[in-house]
Amino acid sequence: MSSVYLVLPVVLPILGGAVMPLLHLPEKQRNAFLEILILATSVLAALCVLRRPKEGFILFHLTGNLDFALRLDGLGSVFVCLIAFLWPLATLYAFEYMRHEERTTSFFSFYTMTCGVTMGIAMAENLVTMYLFYELLTLVSVYLVMHPMTKKALHASRVYLYYSIGGAAFAFVALVFVIIFGGTTDFVMGGVLDMSRVGDNITIVQIVYLLAFWGFGVKAAVFPFQGWLPQASVAPTPVTALLHAVAVVKSGAFAVMRLTYYCFGTELIRGTWVHFVVMSIAMLSILYGSTMAVKETHFKRRLAFSTVSNLSYILLGVTMMSPQGLLAGMAHLVFHAFMKIGAFFCAGAVLHQSGKTYVDELNGLAKKMPFVFTTFVVFGLSLIGIPVFAGFISKWNIAAAAMELGTDYPFAYGAVAVLLYSALMTAVYVLTVAVRAWFPDQGSVGESKEDITDPNWEMKLPLGIFTAAVLIWGLGSEPLMQILRAVAHGVF
Amino acid sequence: MNGDFELFHVIWFPFMAAFLCYLTGMRHKMIRDRVLQLSVILEMGLMVLAAGAYFRTGELEFIWEDFCMQGLYLKLDGFRLLYGCIAALMWMMTGIFSREYFAHYRNRNRYYFFYLLTLGATVGVFLSGDLYTTFVFFEIMSLASYVWVIHDEKPAAMKAGEIYLAIAVIGGLVMLMGLFLLYDAAGTLRMSELHDAVEAVMQEKGMQIYAAGLCMLFGFGAKAGMFPLHVWLPKAHPVAPAPASALLSGILTKTGVFGVLVISAEIFRYDPQWGRLILYLGTITMFGGAFLAVFSIDLKRTLACSSMSQIGFILVGAGMMELLGAENALAVRGTILHMVNHSMIKLILFMAAGVVYRNLHALDLNEIRGFGYQKPLLKAIFLTGALSIGGIPGFSGYVSKTLLHESIVEYASELAAHGEPSLWIRGIEWVFLLTGGMTIAYMTKLFAAVFLEKHPDRQQEYDAKTAYMNQESIFALLTPAVLLVLMGFLPYLTMNRIADLAQGFLHGEMPAHAVHYFSLASLKGAVISMTIGVLVYFGMIRRYLMGKDEKGRTCYLNVWPGWLDLEDLVYRPVFAKAAAAFAGYFCGLADRLYLVRNLLKGALEVSAFLSRICDYLMDTVLVLFRSTTHKSRTERHVYLIGSVFSRTLGKILDQIVRVINHTIRRKNPIERSFVVTFAEWEEMINRTNRLIGASLSFGLMLAAIGLALTLVYLLWW
Repeated sequence: MSSVYLVLPVVLPILGGAVMPLLHLPEKQRNAFLEILILATSVLAALCVLRRPKEGFILFHLTGNLDFALRLDGLGSVFVCLIAFLWPLATLYAFEYMRHEERTTSFFSFYTMTCGVTMGIAMAENLVTMYLFYELLTLVSVYLVMHPMTKKALHASRVYLYYSIGGAAFAFVALVFVIIFGGTTDFVMGGVLDMSRVGDNITIVQIVYLLAFWGFGVKAAVFPFQGWLPQASVAPTPVTALLHAVAVVKSGAFAVMRLTYYCFGTELIRGTWVHFVVMSIAMLSILYGSTMAVKETHFKRRLAFSTVSNLSYILLGVTMMSPQGLLAGMAHLVFHAFMKIGAFFCAGAVLHQSGKTYVDELNGLAKKMPFVFTTFVVFGLSLIGIPVFAGFISKWNIAAAAMELGTDYPFAYGAVAVLLYSALMTAVYVLTVAVRAWFPDQGSVGESKEDITDPNWEMKLPLGIFTAAVLIWGLGSEPLMQILRAVAHGVF
Repeated sequence: MNGDFELFHVIWFPFMAAFLCYLTGMRHKMIRDRVLQLSVILEMGLMVLAAGAYFRTGELEFIWEDFCMQGLYLKLDGFRLLYGCIAALMWMMTGIFSREYFAHYRNRNRYYFFYLLTLGATVGVFLSGDLYTTFVFFEIMSLASYVWVIHDEKPAAMKAGEIYLAIAVIGGLVMLMGLFLLYDAAGTLRMSELHDAVEAVMQEKGMQIYAAGLCMLFGFGAKAGMFPLHVWLPKAHPVAPAPASALLSGILTKTGVFGVLVISAEIFRYDPQWGRLILYLGTITMFGGAFLAVFSIDLKRTLACSSMSQIGFILVGAGMMELLGAENALAVRGTILHMVNHSMIKLILFMAAGVVYRNLHALDLNEIRGFGYQKPLLKAIFLTGALSIGGIPGFSGYVSKTLLHESIVEYASELAAHGEPSLWIRGIEWVFLLTGGMTIAYMTKLFAAVFLEKHPDRQQEYDAKTAYMNQESIFALLTPAVLLVLMGFLPYLTMNRIADLAQGFLHGEMPAHAVHYFSLASLKGAVISMTIGVLVYFGMIRRYLMGKDEKGRTCYLNVWPGWLDLEDLVYRPVFAKAAAAFAGYFCGLADRLYLVRNLLKGALEVSAFLSRICDYLMDTVLVLFRSTTHKSRTERHVYLIGSVFSRTLGKILDQIVRVINHTIRRKNPIERSFVVTFAEWEEMINRTNRLIGASLSFGLMLAAIGLALTLVYLLWW
């Protein structure tokens, strides 16, 4: 397959999303147009992955040896597949969810453009391209947070903007240093830094790495830059579910993977002070996120805090600075995407069907909405890390990576303890919801006369598919893990 | 997937049956009930098929490599076969019993779904050949059985469910941590390879192995109801429906024991340290459970406490098995047989309690007393269980307790022979006998209350209930009772064979000499226990735990203080309140500090300050120059008035005036300044002079003076 086709999954949704408002289509046709557009993007992306072109495609030269170029490698393919799989389903869900909202055209326009930009991040050949798409992602997705146009939403979008742009500024520093010390910004497994150029400046390079880790980590809601994420949960649920559990935040985690394994290289960092600093940051975020999720009683914000901790699971895997760690990080990147988008969709379905937003209002609701809450239990158990669900696989891998690193640096054993604590907290914040909903002890909604039902098929279908995915991967993850293992060892 | 599929069928079938049962139940309740009964009977059939294969070909194995990443490894040896069969049997009996028991219950569909899921998971635990598989099924079992506990959805059930779930989740996760540590150290989780693998690394990684062992003991011990993690057991067992209680007590606790036995027999084989730990914990559990049971006045709670106590007996056996080293045949056989006995006994007793509850909807001894007064069948069945658990010679419990007791005695004599202190083990022996006595006492209490005494006012009504259980239930209760009687009466034929079959699992050898269960030495312990039992019953229960109610009738008193509860006293405050508040406080603080915002604010302030400095820098430099090198002249411009002469004269006069003012004219000081006056005068003079000098007449006058001077010169020179 010619590498020109790589452009399509990126450009198609961006153009389509931009053009769509000009067409003034009635709602039904607009939805059909969008769904076909997104599906076409997904199919094209899948084709690109299946018949992957070896070469990259240079869109244009910026200056010197800085190119704006797209290329698919193993890690990128994983992320592309994830987006291509989730986006059509989330769009389907969004149609039903947004039915009674205003300004849906502009909403869907930006929603679709975000898809292309995220694809761009996944397919970027070098740090420059990724950086540009990264900034672009902030700009197109800020409207989505703003969309309810309430005071809270405006505030949240402003916070999001400041955090993201600020973070990208940190990342820019890294970009410059990579150009100086590496000569190229292309992603090469093992890093591109030229040790002869680095010379005695190793400490500076490490400091720059730390800055960039935080910079890209802002999108992955790493402590102390997690503030924007729970606030952004005022956005409509399709946004919180897809963008703030998958696309945007995972772009952050993905960027950190690129930065760590493909730009700076793990050799430079492993065992040095900066290694322990980034690992501590990830652990701190996990502790913080899971504890706050227990304290939070707003359903969606609780899940947002849970996302904070789970994203740092990915980063914790990444900061193991070993192929095993990258494997674990990628596995959690994929699995968490499914279980968290599912959990958010459950929260959204509850909100959409009953208007209930707080956990203590959910008493007995499962009897009215059995389908939604059954799937929620599956996602929840997976989040805790109960075996036979997908979350267990990735957590096991993260812990295994920590144990492996622990033989050299006992500090890593702390990661296992952190995982244990976080799993306990996860059990608390997930099971309290599930138990309330299924087994109310008093004053239950289940027996009241309120007319609440399961949502229609457009909401149920994604939930069903995600549930099946979580179960299937929980039972037989080996095919996927083999691919990820190959990616992590740089042979795919 | 390869190996002997007989094992796999035993596992997947209940899971599929659960869904089938649920789907049927959505359409038709009657058919569902039959499907359920058929499923549990078929499961028993599958187990028998597996047993057939075992007896034909020896040990069976089944491997599914990719299952849940680490793979599923099932194995069937003697012990696993035994416990697989017991599990299937118990589910079959309770399944048959359930149809009548649940006839008027709500949410049966949900219950049956989780009932069958738990069956699959429990069999999975018992057939697991590596600890990973054990863990996977253990977790499924723990979570699925939660639904049993809260089935009634009453506040008591919800509270018990809360602690059950908490302990299950915490136990499971801590166990997982243990598995990690073990896997990291030993590199395998296969039970058959563990011993060698651990021995190889014991020198360098001893600490890690012990930590792993303790973590796993936490998880398994919690499920077994081991002190101090027993808190959930006396609460969760009574609130569950009776068939579920029977399973919780009889078989789910055994999965925990199974884990403890695997750790003891494989990881720490013959390790005296570990043995002592298990022995002490077992002793406390054994005594504590019996102690609680003596005080309880609730039928099912007594049975639940009794379960805890019997688990303690089994753990004592596990501890002795370690301490005795290679000559541990007595302990191994005693442990296994007591597990089997306890499963069967609790099956019977809880189902009997279920019959009582189904008829009266009460479990308080004061309310149900006399229910069995004229029900000989129920009486006989309950009595079988009671005598057996009490360890009365001729019943199965006697055999296993005798074996356990003999193992303690043997160890004591061994210690004495080596000249080591043996007093502590003698102490444990006495606790063992005392607990045996208490067992007899509380079972007597139950039996006397339900079957021997009469209810003060409702006896007529109770005796009128003749159709208190149907044919199915009778079958479900009678079968295990008959089995139990057979085991008790023919120990050499039945129990010895069971022990022979299963002891390989715990690496037990055949005993050096055959044990004569009915010899005088063996009977001694039982007689002591029975004596203690009689003393406790008549000396304590009848005297202190029974009294008169307000109408003067004898009744059972609940003298256990309500606040004395480990859960409410320690665990809840520590974990739910203190720990949560502690962690929550710090994270809340981190949140409220608005770390980024304040950092940003700080950074902005600093940068604004710096920019302002830059802003003013040039000005500052200029100012600096202006004030130093390029300083303008600093002296004040004084406008002097008058000339030197007038000033000096004026100043002199001013000084004089000052003196005068201070002295003479104090009342009326002169206030004008002479300097000014003189200056004015001088100015006036100057001006006048200028005026004069500029005038014509002055010029003329000067010319005239000049002429006059010229004239004088001409005249006199």
